[in-house]
Amino acid sequence: MKAHALSLLTLLALTLPSFADGKLRVSSFSTVLTELAQQVGGERVVVTAHVKPGVDPHEYEPKPADLKAVGEAQVILLSAKHMEGYVGKLKESTGTKGAVIEVGNGFASLKMKAEDDPNKIVEDPHWWHSITNMGKAVKVVREALSKASPADTAVFTDNAAKYLAKLGALQKWAKMELAKLPRDQRKLVTSHDAFQYFAKENGFTIYAIEGLSSADQPSSKKVGDIISTIKAQGVKAIFAEKIENPKVLKEITRESGAKLGGELYADGLGEGEAATYEGMYKHNVETIVKALQ
Amino acid sequence: MRGSPLLRALLAFLAILALGWPLRRLTTASEAPREQPKAAVVEAKEVGLRLAFTLVPKSVTVRHLGEEVWSGTAPAAEMERTLKLAYPDAGIDLQFQIEWPADAPLAAMRATLTDPAGDAHEHSVWGQGSTDEVVTFP
Repeated sequence: MKAHALSLLTLLALTLPSFADGKLRVSSFSTVLTELAQQVGGERVVVTAHVKPGVDPHEYEPKPADLKAVGEAQVILLSAKHMEGYVGKLKESTGTKGAVIEVGNGFASLKMKAEDDPNKIVEDPHWWHSITNMGKAVKVVREALSKASPADTAVFTDNAAKYLAKLGALQKWAKMELAKLPRDQRKLVTSHDAFQYFAKENGFTIYAIEGLSSADQPSSKKVGDIISTIKAQGVKAIFAEKIENPKVLKEITRESGAKLGGELYADGLGEGEAATYEGMYKHNVETIVKALQ
Repeated sequence: MRGSPLLRALLAFLAILALGWPLRRLTTASEAPREQPKAAVVEAKEVGLRLAFTLVPKSVTVRHLGEEVWSGTAPAAEMERTLKLAYPDAGIDLQFQIEWPADAPLAAMRATLTDPAGDAHEHSVWGQGSTDEVVTFP
């Protein structure tokens, strides 16, 4: 029995790289999960952030340096719901023995039109815009870290509890802020269909403008439809994130009378005030309330 | 057509210039933004609100869209009032701020709202010390 246990430990030592500092190596492919791993892991983890703040995760492709870090990581965190199209190649090319945790796959999915093909329906990968989902993600990460380093379970559990309390306070704050908006005026017109989870949690209806985030000129019928919808719904503001078609946007705002509501962080954390999950979420809520009030 | 070619060219230029202004008016859309779209106005209607407490609180304040609509100090274990509120089909959010007596155990408030259609909606709010909670009524 002892011999078996010893050979198992030897095998584990050979398959997973060890580091002098004894800390767990975590690779993260999401800015939100990077913060989550740092908060839950605390001083017991070293997190490599492959997707940096402000980088579009839809466009991101791993580089050779990323593959090396993944090969050495004991835990690899992915947003999932098809956000990381390279996940298969990542596993194959690194031959990682670390635990690949597809965090978002543990939550119920909302559906959206594929960005490259509007006729195709896919899972909406922007699950972190729901604070409830973030709470579930905290638990997924806590379990993954604890499994990879059982000796640190108490630390991870304590840190996760603190982070969950912060999320609870954030959710309460958001409800207070959004309570300033009548529920029949909670209408989000956005250029990037990324706020469905936010909308569902906070009683908003989404009207996504297709074609605004693309260099292609949307048809005049489509633009007319958008203008009609904005007028009919009494929408006060449009939230455009990635504007490659300013002429169309100008036409929509001029003809509909809706104003530009400001920039929302759709694809993860940003810089400055949006460098943390709490900061990013507060920015989005404050921008929406200010524009629609 | 007599006269200096320079004069004729000048006359033709002035004629084109005179036409330019109305042509520009006809072909260019107005730069002035239209009036901002207005959401359909929901008429304020009578809404019944009944609050029942497991422990009499020191004070209770009810807010709607950030505005105080009902406030009471040292209220009774049960309070009832008719409020006039805009109640859209999407429902309303009410914010309850409750101050419970110091050192009191966990207490609860049961809010029963009767909407303009006469349907009753109930919700419990739990708290200790100070409670500040937003409740959505469908």
